[in-house]
Amino acid sequence: MKLEILNLKKTFGNKEVLKGINFTFESGKIYGLLGRNGAGKTTFFNCLNDDIKAEEGEFNITYEDHTRPLSIEDIGYVLSTPTVPEFLTGREFLKFFLEINEGKLKEVKEIDEYFDFMKIDKEDRDKLLKDYSHGMKNKMQMLINIIANPNILLLDEPLTSLDVVVAEEMKDMLRSIKENHIIIFSTHIMDLALSLCDEIVILKGGNLTLIDDLLKGKELQQKILEILKEEE
Amino acid sequence: MIHTFITSFRLRNTYKVNTFIYALKSVPGLRKLLPDKLYQNRGLKIIGNIISILLEIVNIFLGKFLYIFLMIFSMMSIYKTNPSATFLHILIFLTIIGALMNTYMFNPTKDKYYAMFIMRMDAKKYALSDYFYAILKVIIGFLPFTLLFGLLTGVNIWHCLLIPLFVASAKISIAAYNLYLYNEKGIVINENNPVKHVWLLILIFLALAYGLPALNVIVPPIVSPIIMILTILISIVAIKYIFKFNKYREMYKKVLTGVTVNVTTSANQIAKDTVLKQISIDKKLTSNKKGFAYFNDLFIKRHSKLLLKSAKKVAMISAIVIGIVILIITMNQELKQEINNIIMTYLPYFVFIMYLINRGESITRAMFMNSDHSMLTYAFYRKPTSILNLFKERLKSIILINLLPASIIGIGLSLILYASGGTDNNLNYLIIFISIIAMSIFFSVHHLVIYYLLQPYNINSETKNTTYTIVNILTYVVCYYMIDLRLPTFYFGLATIVFACFYSVISLLLIYRLAPKTFKIRV
Repeated sequence: MKLEILNLKKTFGNKEVLKGINFTFESGKIYGLLGRNGAGKTTFFNCLNDDIKAEEGEFNITYEDHTRPLSIEDIGYVLSTPTVPEFLTGREFLKFFLEINEGKLKEVKEIDEYFDFMKIDKEDRDKLLKDYSHGMKNKMQMLINIIANPNILLLDEPLTSLDVVVAEEMKDMLRSIKENHIIIFSTHIMDLALSLCDEIVILKGGNLTLIDDLLKGKELQQKILEILKEEE
Repeated sequence: MIHTFITSFRLRNTYKVNTFIYALKSVPGLRKLLPDKLYQNRGLKIIGNIISILLEIVNIFLGKFLYIFLMIFSMMSIYKTNPSATFLHILIFLTIIGALMNTYMFNPTKDKYYAMFIMRMDAKKYALSDYFYAILKVIIGFLPFTLLFGLLTGVNIWHCLLIPLFVASAKISIAAYNLYLYNEKGIVINENNPVKHVWLLILIFLALAYGLPALNVIVPPIVSPIIMILTILISIVAIKYIFKFNKYREMYKKVLTGVTVNVTTSANQIAKDTVLKQISIDKKLTSNKKGFAYFNDLFIKRHSKLLLKSAKKVAMISAIVIGIVILIITMNQELKQEINNIIMTYLPYFVFIMYLINRGESITRAMFMNSDHSMLTYAFYRKPTSILNLFKERLKSIILINLLPASIIGIGLSLILYASGGTDNNLNYLIIFISIIAMSIFFSVHHLVIYYLLQPYNINSETKNTTYTIVNILTYVVCYYMIDLRLPTFYFGLATIVFACFYSVISLLLIYRLAPKTFKIRV
């Protein structure tokens, strides 16, 4: 499966933020999306997620034998500020989610099994989400997105506010699901991008550039910095 | 100090002007025409400045006018005591309340935060220039109206001239006392959050202001000027203290980092926190429903403070008022005919009342902040079928909750009509009842529909949609206008019912077609 982006253009006022992006993401890979502040990473995600309308552009999902347009159900979007319904308990949120998606999910498990998988403590499962810590809310959000099993996961700085243990758990979890998924991971932390991602993509001057994956270690870092620093 | 004042004035003005341009840009249709460079446009800046200065002038005078007119002058007629002495009596007590509640110095505003902590201006200089500018505005703002209304009630002209100085002095004295409290005991005052004993004081002074004249007791005319002059003398000491006080920076750090000014989102954060607090933590509240019905049911139950409880309260108050009216009718035969006439012509008035008691707007805000704000980021929640399903559930609950007070009012009005002598046309009973129900349903539908069609909030729960604001204001204006309308109940009631049905059907069709596209978080 591939995500094909054709000629994606988005302007705000007179500012062209995305200048006709043509790019193809492939499943089985975690893509690290790097870009300077204001480069348009969030705009790019928002366009994919249909939160804002792009002026031009087409998104397609292509399989070996056919192609179809992208639909919102293909996408799971995990924001850096966790978003969960504050008035429900963790268990209730999960129950609601499972009921809504009854019949669409494969291998539905018991609610507690999901909590176990996400390492959410027993005593927290029946607390209102408004009383969850930042990291736990993040886990809940991630859990929902993983169960929904969308073809594409967009992650906007999802690990930066987590403690080291949880962050490692999340990384392992992402690696474990990357088969059959396209994971696009936006971050400002180069180490994180290099340690987790299979491919590095740079958003610069309104275009996406894939970094040559023959480079390794220091060389790769140098190259990325060079590209990011270049004048437009 | 003058320099500090000018800098802070310009700072405040700059963001006032920018707010003005921002508001201008968010008017639908204008957004595309106006470029971002607008913020650099000199002409527009000048217009913005003029508007901002005009607003400042309105701000200086309007509040004082309303205060003296409504709180003092218009109250005079109900007392039998000497008007001029009563005028001064009420004014003195209200001034003390005002000084306690409205110190200016302890009002945690964004202006202060920006100037002292972000722009790092000298805290003492800034605080003093800001404070004495506010005090100057008090004196200038009060003068014309104490003269006007004072002279109208027969107050000696010298006393009229003294009043603005007295008001300012009272504020200065209390402010100095609060500074003293901070200096000696470390107590931080936040005037928007008075502590219990301040509330008690306020209540006592309120009772003294309005209660004593009713008992024919007022401050003797000779004593009032003495109180005023004494206060002015005290304020001289107070001013000295205010100038001597040296801990402005650390004090404001405490005043401003409290609840009211949040570095990033300020007012919105507070609004959000308040709405979050509405969530009831009672775990026993559960639901046997499934899917969206389950989701909505829990939402309604966990927000009962906002929804069911408040509807019950309104219903109860309505029942009591109706009971009292019926009691009055049975006791006083003269009023009977009059009340009968009122019921037969005042139905439009109830549009406004039904508007006021409808919880739609606060419910939709809570829906956004506590639920949709986060849920709309999930794809499964944004599917057209999901949006419509949840809409249906919500509509049902909102209508039902609002029907409780509505049916009480509807039945009550019919009962009053019956008790006050009845009507030639028995259909009137039915029309009154159904039209009140129709109004209630109309407002329930209306609030939810504009929320779904215009979803005005962005991820930070700020309203980003001017159309939404305009629609809300228009709704209010139309309902308010109804107050003055006198129409035969039969025809107006019938028209209301037809309109409500028509509106509901049309808007539900619109929802069905458009909501899947319009119901998303604004970016």
